[in-house]
Amino acid sequence: MPKNGMLIRSTLVLAAMAAVAVAALTAAGAASARQTSNVTVNGAGSTFVAPLVAKWVAPVSSQLHITLNYSAVGSGAGILAITNRTADFGASDAPLSPDQFTACKGCVQIPWALAGTAVDYRVDGASKTLRLTGSVLAKIYLGQITYWNDKAIKAVNSGVTIPHTKIAVFYRSDGSGTTYNFTDYLSAVSTQWKTNIGKGTAVNWPTGTGEAHSSGVIAAVKATNGGIGYTDVEYAIANHVSYAFLQNRAGRFVQPSRVSILAASKLDTTPNKSGALSIVDPPAKGTFSGAYPICTYTYVDVAIKSSNAVALKKLINWAILDTANKGQTYGPPILFVPIPSGVVSFDQQQIAKIHT
Amino acid sequence: MSSAEISVFARPNDRLRRRKLVGRGVELIAWFAAAMGVAVLGVLVGYVAERGASQLSLDLFIKSQAAAFSVTSASQGLANAFVGSLVLIGIATAMAVPVGILIAIYVSEFAPRSVKPVVNLVLDLVAGIPAIVVSIFIYGLIEVGHGQTGLAVSYAVAVIMLPFVARSTIEILALVPNSLREAALGLGAPRWRTTLGVVLPQTLGGILTGTVLAVARVSGETAPPLVLSYVVSQGVAWNPVHALQTVPLAIYELGESGTPSDTALAWAGAFVLIMFILVVSLSARWFAARSRRKLGGSR
Amino acid sequence: MSALDTTEPTRRSLSGRRVYFGDTLLQVVAGGAALAAAVLVGLIAYKLVQGAHLAISTFGLGFLTHNIWDPVHAHFAAGAFLYGTVITSVGALVLAVPLALGIALFLSELAPGWLRGPVSALVETLAAIPSVVIGFWGIVVLLPLMANHIEPALHSALGWIPIFGAPSTSGAGYFPAIIVLTIMITPIIASLSRELFLGVPRELKEAALGLGTTRWEMVRGVVLPYARGGVTAAVILGLGRALGEAIAVSQVIGATPYITKNLFSQGTTMGSKIAVQFLNATPPLEPSALIYLGLILLVFSLIVNLLAQLVVRRASRRLRG
Repeated sequence: MPKNGMLIRSTLVLAAMAAVAVAALTAAGAASARQTSNVTVNGAGSTFVAPLVAKWVAPVSSQLHITLNYSAVGSGAGILAITNRTADFGASDAPLSPDQFTACKGCVQIPWALAGTAVDYRVDGASKTLRLTGSVLAKIYLGQITYWNDKAIKAVNSGVTIPHTKIAVFYRSDGSGTTYNFTDYLSAVSTQWKTNIGKGTAVNWPTGTGEAHSSGVIAAVKATNGGIGYTDVEYAIANHVSYAFLQNRAGRFVQPSRVSILAASKLDTTPNKSGALSIVDPPAKGTFSGAYPICTYTYVDVAIKSSNAVALKKLINWAILDTANKGQTYGPPILFVPIPSGVVSFDQQQIAKIHT
Repeated sequence: MSSAEISVFARPNDRLRRRKLVGRGVELIAWFAAAMGVAVLGVLVGYVAERGASQLSLDLFIKSQAAAFSVTSASQGLANAFVGSLVLIGIATAMAVPVGILIAIYVSEFAPRSVKPVVNLVLDLVAGIPAIVVSIFIYGLIEVGHGQTGLAVSYAVAVIMLPFVARSTIEILALVPNSLREAALGLGAPRWRTTLGVVLPQTLGGILTGTVLAVARVSGETAPPLVLSYVVSQGVAWNPVHALQTVPLAIYELGESGTPSDTALAWAGAFVLIMFILVVSLSARWFAARSRRKLGGSR
Repeated sequence: MSALDTTEPTRRSLSGRRVYFGDTLLQVVAGGAALAAAVLVGLIAYKLVQGAHLAISTFGLGFLTHNIWDPVHAHFAAGAFLYGTVITSVGALVLAVPLALGIALFLSELAPGWLRGPVSALVETLAAIPSVVIGFWGIVVLLPLMANHIEPALHSALGWIPIFGAPSTSGAGYFPAIIVLTIMITPIIASLSRELFLGVPRELKEAALGLGTTRWEMVRGVVLPYARGGVTAAVILGLGRALGEAIAVSQVIGATPYITKNLFSQGTTMGSKIAVQFLNATPPLEPSALIYLGLILLVFSLIVNLLAQLVVRRASRRLRG
């Protein structure tokens, strides 16, 4: 076939080059990752807990010789990942429903971190950080308050100049545990929200624009004058976005902070049978006077029978402890409060159930 | 169809001037449309080139995507996406090309006259199914209840590629003169030997072109990896049984994030992807034009 | 390769010609591949109906007319997504068809010889740009442009027309989705139309010009009617492409299901909803409802394709006879 000889030859050369390229890239990638003697654990899910998990990668590699791979794809996708055994663990801020437990076919739910959901916003020209109440926040997300200098907002921000800026509402378009936490709160403070919308990882939002993942929401709020959104508080801090003071039941205006999150966590320190806790919208009692009302535990969901059980148990046992450079010690600087000892003991019992 | 009204009573100059004006106006619109088309392309490629080319570095090809919120001093790259795309699209091509060639052989050499349009219709229908629909079909077929796998992406991409490969091969086979077939048959060769040993070798160049163009076309498909290979491990991986990262999905995800370093990485990925598609398409067409000239010259 | 050399058992067909085993094998294998393609289409339809079955039995055809997407209460209906798909596709056609025909005319009639090749290549290049890149460019470049300059300007100048209502604060909405879709389907329609215009027999064109028509009159009177069937088919194919585009649309449309005349408002299409929601759906009803959306999209694409085929067939029959 002389006519096509040159073409065939060049194809073969190109194919060989492609094969060499794949091999070279793989080798280079593997070398630069230095994964030689570590066990790999793959996880997927919550963007809420992603800042903390990211901080765990290095110590877990050096202390436990585990390479931790985490995909922040959202709690909904994380639950799907563990249900389908696509990942070794799924991370979700929304507790598994009974249906999801059944679908997961033998999973345990382990609360492993605790933080607060900030209400991020951008209003150019506002003279101070803004304050909001639960009912105002609900009305904003219901589409009933549309301007930042609305009477209701000005009423709780006396003395603050607020320009006439339109509110641009953002929410999570993907299945999100942060959405679950946020809508849980809105349902608690607004009967209209509770009856018409309800709480869930994805709801029928009456108004606003959907963005994927917390990173999408914070980017949108940052880029839009008048934007308002909800993410784990660390996203707002890391991206230099303002977040609002929320009024708790005691009447005080609080921002998410180590102190206010810790106060809220005292509302529920005993996980129920399936491992879930609810610390949203604490009452007005004295202990909770400084509590931030939109806090949540976040969970790691693992299959009881898991091929990677040994590494998983090591990892989670390490993650929940607050001593000697273990998991929880990495939390406070990014506003994750160490989980209380009662929850830790519960967790250790759950972890003991995991086997190969 | 007479649009030229020649009337001896009308004053030709006025009417002619008006007609010429209308004609000139339409021509201007056409020039404008073409200019718009070129401008849009220029803007798109220009942005990608400007923001992406500056990100080109060795790291882009060696390092993998960093996890969210990881230490930002560590640079990141798209090695995991490049390798994943090469592997998965390679497998898809290996699946689609033989089947496409077989379909083309059937249509061109064996199909009765009434069956030919039916097969062509089927190919057109498959080509018209949106990629997102193909992806959820493969999900329901393979991944429901089981884990994610890169092979599912390859199947979906193979389905998308199939009509392109088949149709271009049919066209090439039609170019082979019947005299060649008849000569071989006349010498006593069986039909299958004629097809595989005489007709097909003439078309290898054209099939290659068609395949390469199809590969360029599907290398940017985002829907299959979005649905089928979304949860990937960090770092470079090549085992297609696991979910692998792909370039278009990486661009999609990085585009949704707001972090400037992610956006920069997305521009870089988009630049490499576009360059790959352009270089591959243009060289395939150049080869095709060259071999057509050669074929024409030797006849 | 003489007949005496073959060692395969020879059979004779009814016509008396020799039938070799290899022939039958190749025919069966190749025919099997063709059959497999047909089966594939049927299989896709079957799997989608199967997956959507739960939603179909729960919501029936009301799924198409109502508008709600509530995972908490498990009420789903496609109204807003249907609306979004139709609005964005039709809007893209309105912009793309004149643009594409203009480009095709330019390339077939007006361009000087040296310009034809490069501009054709450029148009083909535009068709090769992946949708995710156009969508990404849309997010970073187009949306801020929309939010800060274009939409407010259009609203203040033409705000009395309902489609130019209140601008979107983030820039995301139907309007940028229409722009993105236009960029995607114009090259397809343009290159197909260009081929058709170039295929008009020269004698017909020269005859008209010889009668004294201007170039535009010749195009209007000879080229366009001759190519009408093919151009219609090309437009229909462009429509099909716009209907099915999920990725680029999802990147710029905002994900909120609004039914409104205001093109600056956010919206969703069927394709973009599936792309965004499929991996996050709440079983058992939401995944089924999303597959129901996919089924509707499949039906749309099949109808559009068949329509295009019909138009081409009728046009070629008219030309022949």
